[in-house]
Amino acid sequence: MSNTKRVPLGTFVHARSGDKGGNANVGVWVRQGDDDAKRRARIDWLIGFITPERIRELLPESAELDVTCHPLVNLGGVNVVIERILGEGVAASTRFDPQAKALGEWLRSRHVDIPEELL
Amino acid sequence: MTATADAIAGSTSATGAESALRIANCSGFYGDRLSAMREMLDGGPVDVITGDYLAELTMLILGKDQLRDVSLGYARTFVAQVADCLGDALERGVKIVANAGGLNPSGLADKLEEVAKGLGLSPVIAFIDGDNLAPRAAELGFDGALTANAYLGGFGIAKALTAGADIVVTGRVTDASVVVGPGIWRHGWTTESIDQIAGAVVAGHVIECGTQATGGNFSGFLELPRDAQPLGFPIAELRADGSSVITKHPGTGGMVSIDTVTAQLMYEIQGPVYMNPDASVDLTSIELSVDGPDRVLIDGVRGVEPPERLKVATNTLGGYRNQMEFVLVGLDIDAKEQWLRAQLDDALAGSPPAEITWTRGPLPGPDAATEEGAACLLRCVVKDSSAEVVGKPFTAAGVGLALASYPGFTLTAPPGKPSAFGVYRPEYVDRDQVTERVVVGGEVL
Repeated sequence: MSNTKRVPLGTFVHARSGDKGGNANVGVWVRQGDDDAKRRARIDWLIGFITPERIRELLPESAELDVTCHPLVNLGGVNVVIERILGEGVAASTRFDPQAKALGEWLRSRHVDIPEELL
Repeated sequence: MTATADAIAGSTSATGAESALRIANCSGFYGDRLSAMREMLDGGPVDVITGDYLAELTMLILGKDQLRDVSLGYARTFVAQVADCLGDALERGVKIVANAGGLNPSGLADKLEEVAKGLGLSPVIAFIDGDNLAPRAAELGFDGALTANAYLGGFGIAKALTAGADIVVTGRVTDASVVVGPGIWRHGWTTESIDQIAGAVVAGHVIECGTQATGGNFSGFLELPRDAQPLGFPIAELRADGSSVITKHPGTGGMVSIDTVTAQLMYEIQGPVYMNPDASVDLTSIELSVDGPDRVLIDGVRGVEPPERLKVATNTLGGYRNQMEFVLVGLDIDAKEQWLRAQLDDALAGSPPAEITWTRGPLPGPDAATEEGAACLLRCVVKDSSAEVVGKPFTAAGVGLALASYPGFTLTAPPGKPSAFGVYRPEYVDRDQVTERVVVGGEVL
């Protein structure tokens, strides 16, 4: 395996997040703009990288929650559902960000080990 | 059909690119930019202007509105938008389709008739209801639901348009249905047209959140101009084969790129199949490609059979909440927090709220050069089934500590009144339990 570099996940990964009842939905995908081969390699890496365990590690507030990851290769990323992180839903949530609008930006800001050839 | 529509419908081709129906969105939620309907009408050619006004939470807000006044329960901003745009829309043959009816589509239709009359206009106004299951909530097992609305599909909307409606207002249809309905109307799709409808569902899902498709709330925002110009609302050019091009009016702010479209497709989904009442979407089949500047083609969409039962959005009144936010500054933050919490717990011991949640922001760094840099926020949120408990006894307990607690005690805002909160819960119902009603110009179809 090649060397890795510790950089923010958002270096080449985009995200959007929101609420669905008490669940948070986070989509993460590899941005356009680099050559196709590199983008495909990044997608392969991202889909292998984003697992429920990894989400619980990067977002410790979800450590005790059910997390599901749905890869969508054609869209270049993974949809992540974090159950009950918003409690009973937006109107009832006591969370600082009750609709999980910024959860994706938090995730992008976490530092992770990325293989150097993908950077 | 209008002159423009006739001309467009007259041409045919394999993909239907020439006969594409230009469907604009002008609202992603109740409270979105008021001028957007006018912008979409004037910014370039469109055939239909749609809008989504009903988030999960909105149904609860409308429910509370209607508790106060039964004639309300719809999106009132939509009335102002139509009042401004109706004359020009009729003249140009642009249809208006929106779920702004909320809990009271017939009430909204009445209001629009009144507005049109006042303007000396006589549009054909249609409404669709039957989604509201609240009166039967107990019978259907939705215990204590203040609102209960089945998510309807697009065939009712198509029926109303075919009958000559200029404006169609609905209650709880799916966000995509306001795009699917006009697609069925224009392209003559049937319940068998699973792939085409699935394509329209995807187009609808992309534009339903307004400017989120054109650079709003987009993590690639560094690629945008980021000037003061407002982001343009999105348009889906929906073709007969179900493919579509997502675009926006020329000269408007933001951009449409594969990434801005992907952003909208990658979230708010729950697995590889996106459910919708007319056709569900196999999300793994979607192909995106660039079709020119600010144009993205959505192609290859495969449909799957829709679910047998309809989804129902229910909201129950969860109780009441209130909060106070304390500012802790400087040294010994932990000790300050602990003392305050001990004091407040004791003051609330007489009638403690059912739930007390404390959250503290990040600790300040040492030796800060600004007061804010030396501060951290401590928030206390309380909930209870009784408004009384989280009202005065709670706020008085906090305020009463102002001169009697940790050094530097201050609040970010004076404590407010308790507010009611709802709990959203998705439910499901057999299709035969829901009777959709399409009413055009006062006549039930």
